[in-house]
Amino acid sequence: MFTILEKILLITFLSSAISFFLYHLYVRLSIVFKGKGSFAFDHLLLRLKRLFDEVLLHKKVISKQRTIVGFLHLFVMYGFIFFGLITLNHFLIPFDIKLFSPSFKLNYFYFVGLPWAILCLIGILGLAYRRFFIKPKFLGEKSKTSAVVTLFIFLLMITYLYDEFHLWNSLLQYKVNWWLHSFVIGSFLFLIPKSKHMHLVLSPFNIFLKPFDNPDHAPVPIDLEASEEELDNLLLDLSRLSKNQALDIFTCVECGRCTEVCPANRGGGILNPKYHFILDLKNPMLENQDVNVVDKINVEAGWECTTCQACTEVCPVGNQVEKADEIRSFQVLSTGDVPQEYQKLLMNLQETGNTEGKNSSEILKELPEYTAEKEIVLWLGCFAKHAMDPNFVKSVRNFTKILDSASISYGVLSNEQCSGDPANKLGDKLTYQLLMDQNVEALKGVKKVVSMCPHCVVNLQKEYRKYHEINYEVKHHTQMIAELLEDNRININPGSLEKVTYHDPCNLSRTLNETEAPRKLLKASAPNYFELEEHGKETLCCGAGGALWWKKDTGEGRTHLLRAEQVIQSKTDTVVTGCNFCYGMMNQGIGPLTPSDQEKIQVKDIADIVAENLSN
Amino acid sequence: MKIAVLTKAIPSYESLIRIDTSSKWIDDSLVNYVVNESDAYALEEALKIKESLADDSEVVVVSMGSEDKCSKIIKDGLAKGADRAILIDSQEKISDPLSIATLISDCIKDEQFDLVFSGLQSDDLGSGQVGVLLGEKLKMSTATLAIETQIQPSAIRVKRELESGWFQWLTIPLPASISIQSGINNPRYPSLKGIMGARNKEVAKHNSNQFSNNQLQSMVELYIPSNEKQAEKIEGDSKSVASRILEILKNDLRVIQ
Repeated sequence: MFTILEKILLITFLSSAISFFLYHLYVRLSIVFKGKGSFAFDHLLLRLKRLFDEVLLHKKVISKQRTIVGFLHLFVMYGFIFFGLITLNHFLIPFDIKLFSPSFKLNYFYFVGLPWAILCLIGILGLAYRRFFIKPKFLGEKSKTSAVVTLFIFLLMITYLYDEFHLWNSLLQYKVNWWLHSFVIGSFLFLIPKSKHMHLVLSPFNIFLKPFDNPDHAPVPIDLEASEEELDNLLLDLSRLSKNQALDIFTCVECGRCTEVCPANRGGGILNPKYHFILDLKNPMLENQDVNVVDKINVEAGWECTTCQACTEVCPVGNQVEKADEIRSFQVLSTGDVPQEYQKLLMNLQETGNTEGKNSSEILKELPEYTAEKEIVLWLGCFAKHAMDPNFVKSVRNFTKILDSASISYGVLSNEQCSGDPANKLGDKLTYQLLMDQNVEALKGVKKVVSMCPHCVVNLQKEYRKYHEINYEVKHHTQMIAELLEDNRININPGSLEKVTYHDPCNLSRTLNETEAPRKLLKASAPNYFELEEHGKETLCCGAGGALWWKKDTGEGRTHLLRAEQVIQSKTDTVVTGCNFCYGMMNQGIGPLTPSDQEKIQVKDIADIVAENLSN
Repeated sequence: MKIAVLTKAIPSYESLIRIDTSSKWIDDSLVNYVVNESDAYALEEALKIKESLADDSEVVVVSMGSEDKCSKIIKDGLAKGADRAILIDSQEKISDPLSIATLISDCIKDEQFDLVFSGLQSDDLGSGQVGVLLGEKLKMSTATLAIETQIQPSAIRVKRELESGWFQWLTIPLPASISIQSGINNPRYPSLKGIMGARNKEVAKHNSNQFSNNQLQSMVELYIPSNEKQAEKIEGDSKSVASRILEILKNDLRVIQ
């Protein structure tokens, strides 16, 4: 049926398409493998489960607000998977190799090929309609490759159905149809590696290899005794991405969800994580054939990031998007170009060990000092220690009231320094190390630490481990109170009858993975509890993260007001949170933003609402 | 070009200020010393000039006071990019500008600096005179309150801030001593390379006892200003209340004319 010439033509076409594809894949992977660090394969089962959930079940693609579009994409993806056998069979026809018996082929067509061809058609046409007619802002500029892909998939399905339904009347018609189908498949191989469609190939690997910690920035250990050469190497290293980060960039599907959820972008900032943290780095990587592209990140955009990790949480292809840590470390350590307000903050940390530059703390004096026979260290953090929101002192007292009620002995460390979170987040790894080393020393011999500040918990529990061996256990106070409730060491009478909602702090929900403990306590205390639209791991940052609490208000950005606005619009009576910075931001935002005809919303910490309803 | 930057260690704004037992000085033990704000701008201006000239220009941090207070701010200056430092080690509590300027002048006169930059004033004593007095002692031309500088061959062009939003451009011959207003540039943060490099930079130490030291001023007593709140309840009909408020605004507070 097929002539020798046709066979030669087919082999030439396919082998050039495959070579092209493999070459460009090789080019990209060889850059990826120049990245820092190594890919991790630990917790294999968890990784496989994640692969199953996020690829096969499309759990992130089909998220809350994106159900329809998620399903449309699912149809296209399964279309591709199920068409694998059909494609193989297709290309063997000219060589008279029969892969399937006629009955299997027929059954496969009716039960798999036909339904998925239709679903895939629906999928691709729906996605094209969205992209070219609804035009969601975050998809960005018109994408030519998307139009080509729409046409390709449409043609593939049509030519497939044309063939299977034997709609051809002559050999010529059959062959034209067959060649068209072949041409489209081959062309895909030319299209994929140089476009966002590379995600077809890379995203399963990227999701499998994604680090478990969010964020997962490499530590920057600084040895002040190092030689000139070692120092130069360290600084060079700061401009390099890790293997995971490099793979992210070639995997990006350009959907723009990271930008859609970004609080800095939503607040009117210039930060556009899709471009600034991912796509802007792609061409430089290809040009340099290397991963030394951190300096290509827009510095101003990097300073705007609240490091809330919403971008990473939402990414459907497993990217760890945020690179504020990398660009800030590079700026601070390499060039010393740091906004003045942050210089003041960093100087305070160096001089006094706290963010506010204070020499003494009232609440520290009021609380019992930790001694070895006490059960836990109550880690205050700068926010509580220096009453950065004067109302929060009451929340600290409420927490100690709960501890007293459960007869837990606790004490504070008089030599507690700032955990270093702002220095770490601002990229001043030297100041960070200075504070961390002092704290690790102060915590020697301590077994249990509890803190009301999720930022402190993240550092004491996760970040310090990157530099030191840690033998203590750290809990956030909501986790500890939830355990006390479970063990019946405290009793709660649900007495807060007003409407109550909860604001999930980014550090607690996304980084520490804790969304349940605070809810358990809230439900026990307040029967009229309801959820905000963006909650749990999909929470919206209060605007204080990434050391932005200390950023001077330039009057234009609204990042710090977005969440408070949502809370006001929810018409709740009380908003409860689990982070002192969120608490401060809510108080600062709600006051001025509340309309005159609305009652001012109460801001509480979990400790407040529990202490108010303690029954023993 | 050789540029000296006068840099003073002052108590941080957040420090707890108490008077010591002599009632003539503050209690140092409670105080955290930091670099005087406008001096940081002066240093940045000097570093920018050095960078723009891109020759063998030198920036020298000059600091006076006890070593434990000054070493931190000297290190900071060197880490930011100053080439070397001169520490005038002085345990004495000298507060009058002329004595300070004389001491510094005696100490640095052999250096033949082309430029001396100082902050507009120190945030603790705030006399704002040392830079100008030093300029006179070293027979330099002087200018105060600079908000912009432009280097010219053997001269410097300075934009001076005057009152009510006015300013003045002035060209003065080198050598010159100029005091720098805060906010004229964006002081840098010491980079890691700068911090590491600072360890090998020279800090020349002079003892203030080497020089004649006739203090022209002596402190009689130092005290914390009393903090009083006053309230006046204005009663009467609306007309008399309004006229009383007007009177206060005009005569007592002088916020309206």
